[in-house]
Amino acid sequence: MSERLPEDELTYYTGDACISCTSCMSNCPVMEATQDYDGPKLVAPAHGRMHFSEEDIERSLELCSNCKTCDRSCPNGVSVSTLNLLQKGVYYRTHKHPMRDLMISRPEPLAKLITGLPMGASLANMGIKVANSLGMLSMMGLAGKRTMPAYTNKTFLSRMKSIKQPKSDKKIVFYVGCSINYNTPEIGEAFVKVMNHNGYEVLVDPAFVCCGSPLIVTGYLDAARKNVDTNVDRLLYWKQEGIPVVSCCTSCSYALRKEYEELYGEKQMKEAGSNVYDAFEFLEMLDAKGQLKTDFKEESIRFMYHQPCHLKSAGIGTPAAQVLKHVPGVAVELADAGCCGICGNYGYRKERYDVSMKVGEQLFKRILLSQPDSVICDCPTCRQQIEHGTHKEAIHPIMVLARNYKYE
Amino acid sequence: MIRSDVLVIGAGLAGLMAAYTSAKQGKKVTLLTWGEGTLTVNSGTIDILGFDENHKRVNNPLQGIDNLPADHPYKKIGRQALQEGLASFLELTKQHELTYIGSMEANQPVVTAIGTKKRTAYAPLPMVLSEQALTKKKIRAVAIKGLKDFYGDVMIENLKKSFGPDKDYGVIPIDTGLMGGRDITIQDVARYLDTPQGNADFLSQLEDLDQDTLLVLPPIFGSHGHTVYQTISQEMKATMVETTCLPPSVPGIRLRYAFRDELRQLGVDIVESSKAVASEIEGTKAVSVIANSASNQRRYYADRFILATGGFYSGGIEMRDFEKPIEPIFHLPISFVKGEDQWTNEELFGSKAQGYAKTGIETNDLLQPVNKEGQVVLDNVYIVGRNLAGFDFCFEHSGNGIAIASAYKAASVGMGKEA
Repeated sequence: MSERLPEDELTYYTGDACISCTSCMSNCPVMEATQDYDGPKLVAPAHGRMHFSEEDIERSLELCSNCKTCDRSCPNGVSVSTLNLLQKGVYYRTHKHPMRDLMISRPEPLAKLITGLPMGASLANMGIKVANSLGMLSMMGLAGKRTMPAYTNKTFLSRMKSIKQPKSDKKIVFYVGCSINYNTPEIGEAFVKVMNHNGYEVLVDPAFVCCGSPLIVTGYLDAARKNVDTNVDRLLYWKQEGIPVVSCCTSCSYALRKEYEELYGEKQMKEAGSNVYDAFEFLEMLDAKGQLKTDFKEESIRFMYHQPCHLKSAGIGTPAAQVLKHVPGVAVELADAGCCGICGNYGYRKERYDVSMKVGEQLFKRILLSQPDSVICDCPTCRQQIEHGTHKEAIHPIMVLARNYKYE
Repeated sequence: MIRSDVLVIGAGLAGLMAAYTSAKQGKKVTLLTWGEGTLTVNSGTIDILGFDENHKRVNNPLQGIDNLPADHPYKKIGRQALQEGLASFLELTKQHELTYIGSMEANQPVVTAIGTKKRTAYAPLPMVLSEQALTKKKIRAVAIKGLKDFYGDVMIENLKKSFGPDKDYGVIPIDTGLMGGRDITIQDVARYLDTPQGNADFLSQLEDLDQDTLLVLPPIFGSHGHTVYQTISQEMKATMVETTCLPPSVPGIRLRYAFRDELRQLGVDIVESSKAVASEIEGTKAVSVIANSASNQRRYYADRFILATGGFYSGGIEMRDFEKPIEPIFHLPISFVKGEDQWTNEELFGSKAQGYAKTGIETNDLLQPVNKEGQVVLDNVYIVGRNLAGFDFCFEHSGNGIAIASAYKAASVGMGKEA
């Protein structure tokens, strides 16, 4: 049975704690990029109250990118960005979505279809390229100037079957997520290698589904509910088994650990969220207990680390930067240049491309000025934005650990 | 970092200054913050002491401090920490292109958001009313089209009272073209002036003013540092002076950027969205602070803990039952004014400090928390800024001064560099 969280923990009521101090406004990257956005304070806690009860919508609501900078700035715990997501959800119950929303909100069924066919991935990748060069993506309402993420010919889950792991009493469940499974399985393989080297056996649970974040940010709150319930069930199951669930994608993990609870307000979601960890959060915790293996080869390289917004919101600091300090020769400089601007599928919408790139400008400039050998970042869409905006390689930090451990 | 030398809790001016001072000594520092700290609502002026206990104006802050009661935080912090702390603050700001002008021994006037004057010890360069500025015959308030919270007409009425009747007053409207539908903020205009186009646009609207003009403007000259102000000043014949402003307060935001950049360069690990809720204590030592992440609790271990969580407004001190205030992380003893009738004054801005505002943590001269008997409760915990007992910063105009000086001292004592 689902039980509601107490009233003072419900997102809906956090708006009442707004004291109009403008912290959210002074930090909002979208407000900085465009004068069209009324800003977090006016859209969420102020107008939000009215629009939950009305048909009409705040005119600039769609400009919110859900980067959650407002939530982090707020001194009083107002869930500003989630109030916006809730408003969007209410609006789209009675209003039609643009056609392309179907596509950008459902990466999993689409990827399943494509990677399930023989040669499906290669054909789809080619098809996307051709479609883009013919201007078809743009016609569909997608940002035609972007490269769409390419599909893999062999998903992570199918590769996992042939990975031979040492058995161990220490286990974690790997929440794979769509991006690693269908686009970048090498990140998943690197993660398994790192965990095995640290004495952990990695389990995967095929019952997990897409975290639902793409649906949520596109306003399909009711459709996302199915994903939420499935994942919450599995998280609770693993919690009961005493096995933590670990993710290499900071937006997946933020959805699992917090966004479900914030959006749907049920106790079991909060309970489920407490069993979710980011990969480097987990490794940093091992490190604090003196249990992290630090037998690294030396690699002389200078990285710039972009901390994804949703990792900042997780309230766990910069675990990747801390753990990488153990690798001799590796220098990690924090970008600390704000949001990258892609924000899930936000920057893939044709009408948001310019704002998205404007938001990312400061990060791009910082990277181009510092000229690191490579950029590291835990979030797949941030990495795409960084590569698009700077033409610099951006990799997941787990790749650095995986390639530098001294394996037998 | 889960294990650091120094853990600072809170990212207001006191917390940032404590983290800076600690990191500069080569310590590994972690800073926990829930909400982004108070600098976006900070005036950016460094008030040390504006009024004494009886609300008499203090002209010389350093002298004024000597006359404060013995339990006032300044008396514990001491002159040396105040002087060294301010010197360190001035060094940091200078490195980040912020010039502060003033003295600990003479308060100076600056213009407020509504055109009245307030006094402060150190003012950011664009706010400084130089002697030469005060001789100008023509005073012009700049009204920016669409700008919220800065009204030329109101400004002029109050400026007349501030600067006297024998000058020529007027409002100059300017248009930034920043119209997208929402009210524009001072921060929007400051960002616009960060750009070469904004710079040129602005100049073209004001370049024909003569050198006998003092232009009074909201703090719009750039969102980082004072270089935009300095560059435009050189191009203009008229003298320009920025006022304080309503939030988002650009002078405070400029300070925040300076601290953020400096802390990053010094390797301070800032953990955002992290609410410290409890601690683990062994005897008279704090071992760790427990903070809420989005979905779990994390322990942060350190040798030294600096508490900069603020007072009632910031949740550093809570009071659910009357006369039972608590400090939620270490459960330190709280000192407060007793009796309902002593708690608040009838007038919000009267000639008496507010009783409730004096609520805080009592410390010894090293800023360690003490109980009623004066014994140290936790010897590796230090109390700074608004967490300290015995002062009403609004009433006496001492907030930023106490923040800087106490943070400097808390981060320096026993570190080989005794303050």
